Amino acid sequence: MKKSTKILVSIVAVAVILTSALALVFLTPQKQYLRMATTTSTQDSGLLDYILPVFENKSNCIVEVIAVGSGQALEMGKRGDVDVLMVHSPASEVTFVSGGYGTNRTQLMYNWFVIVGPDDDPAGTRNATNASDAFQRILDNGTAGNATFVSRADNSGTHTKELGIWAALGYNKTEVAAFDVSWYKQAGQGMGAVLDMCEDMEAYTLSDDATYYSRVEAGIIPSLNITKAGDSALKNQYSMILVNSTMWPHINKTMAMDFLSWIVSKDGQDLIKSYERYGQQLFTPNAPGYTSTTSLSITCVQAEKDMAVQASKGFETTRRLPAGPIPCNYGEGNA
Amino acid sequence: MSFGLEYDVIQVTLLSLYVAGAATVLGCMIGIPLGSLIGLKEFGGKSALKTITYTMYGFPPVISGLVIYYLFSRAGPFGSLGILFTPTAMILAETLLVIPLATGITITEVAEVDRSIKDTIRALGASRRISTLTVMREAWVGLVMAAMIGFGRCIAEVGAAYMVGGNIQGETRTLTTAIMLETRMGKFDYAIGLGIVLISVAMAVFLFLRLLQEKEHL
Repeated sequence: MKKSTKILVSIVAVAVILTSALALVFLTPQKQYLRMATTTSTQDSGLLDYILPVFENKSNCIVEVIAVGSGQALEMGKRGDVDVLMVHSPASEVTFVSGGYGTNRTQLMYNWFVIVGPDDDPAGTRNATNASDAFQRILDNGTAGNATFVSRADNSGTHTKELGIWAALGYNKTEVAAFDVSWYKQAGQGMGAVLDMCEDMEAYTLSDDATYYSRVEAGIIPSLNITKAGDSALKNQYSMILVNSTMWPHINKTMAMDFLSWIVSKDGQDLIKSYERYGQQLFTPNAPGYTSTTSLSITCVQAEKDMAVQASKGFETTRRLPAGPIPCNYGEGNA
Repeated sequence: MSFGLEYDVIQVTLLSLYVAGAATVLGCMIGIPLGSLIGLKEFGGKSALKTITYTMYGFPPVISGLVIYYLFSRAGPFGSLGILFTPTAMILAETLLVIPLATGITITEVAEVDRSIKDTIRALGASRRISTLTVMREAWVGLVMAAMIGFGRCIAEVGAAYMVGGNIQGETRTLTTAIMLETRMGKFDYAIGLGIVLISVAMAVFLFLRLLQEKEHL
């Protein structure tokens, strides 16, 4: 083959490939895409894998999930990189919406934070009257060299909640960050990694219960126990926010609205409610107008049932649930 | 095939290969010519440029990810392209990691070959262009090595892949980000399984490249 023929052939080949690639892109019926930034707990607990396919089938739309810390998720929304947010960092969410970055902030569901720590509970958090008291005990024992606390320290929703509890004790963010490293470890890691660190260091931390239970089930953290739970201050509220589509015209506003309407509808909420793992319901739906049948007394029954399930799964019930009365105030303060 | 996972492991593996492969090819397409230019030409500041290139061997993937994130985020200068959280963005971030490797290794290789054969072929009357091509052919083993090291860095990369890819199931989930996800979920056994897949795939690619290296050199 002559050199010029060779060049011609290559040009034609490249052109054919490019054309067919373009044709493939433009001729295939366009499926819609919705991009959602969310916190790691909703993905890691398996909730999204459970509920999203239902919406995707119904609306011929693929929901692309990017699971990061709530701080990073909000930043992605601010920069217009996602269409919709599912986050659990109420104070930052309010700032986000009031800054004009998002609209339609809607309460979605909640689960619980728990304080977990070593079996022998050196700080005595099991006897604490509430979450703040437990933190105070960890602080006192920590400075005395008897206890260790690992903080997420990553601007996640859990970290924000932890800072909120310290704030109730009169320590602001800067003061908390300046706590002595001998007892207050700022990990900058995800929840699972921090729980593993606590297991290793015999330390306390604040965790969402879904991540805690998933690791208990996997047998990775055999000596960590819930030492304080059930305080209404430990409620973990998730909300949906639509990213401002006036600011970012490329956003799939119609699909974002469809998704929001669906997830707060009775169908969406019932689906969330039916998701169970580790022998328990992980998230309690509480969108405005959704009437959950879960009343206070039912929650108590549920807690007892959970204990039975846990016992049957080989968990030592007394070690896995806080000592003392079953936290029947789980239903307290819910909208 | 899902092997008990929520996503298709074959598809995840193919994406890993595609992203790392494309980044390696792109990086080499830029790095090898650049490296041979630096290696074969004499100019002022050459030694400084070489030092900078070698320093960039250790360019942190997380910085590469951050740079690409900021450039291609909707609020960034190239945001309107809408390529953030697509394989394209991952390829770009990893290409940044391959370029210095390919450049640096090429510089070293061609300089070495150059010294040993340039005078001979020049004496035989080869033109400048022919002599450059001959040097490149002789340096083949080294250039394939550049591709291998570049590919190795890309296929094992997780920070940048997560940051600009987003670990989206069915779209941008690679073996490394899937391992991270499984670890985060506490499913260490799945994570290790995916790790074995990753190592096997990398090994297969390296075997292929080594065959290529030896065959051409014979």
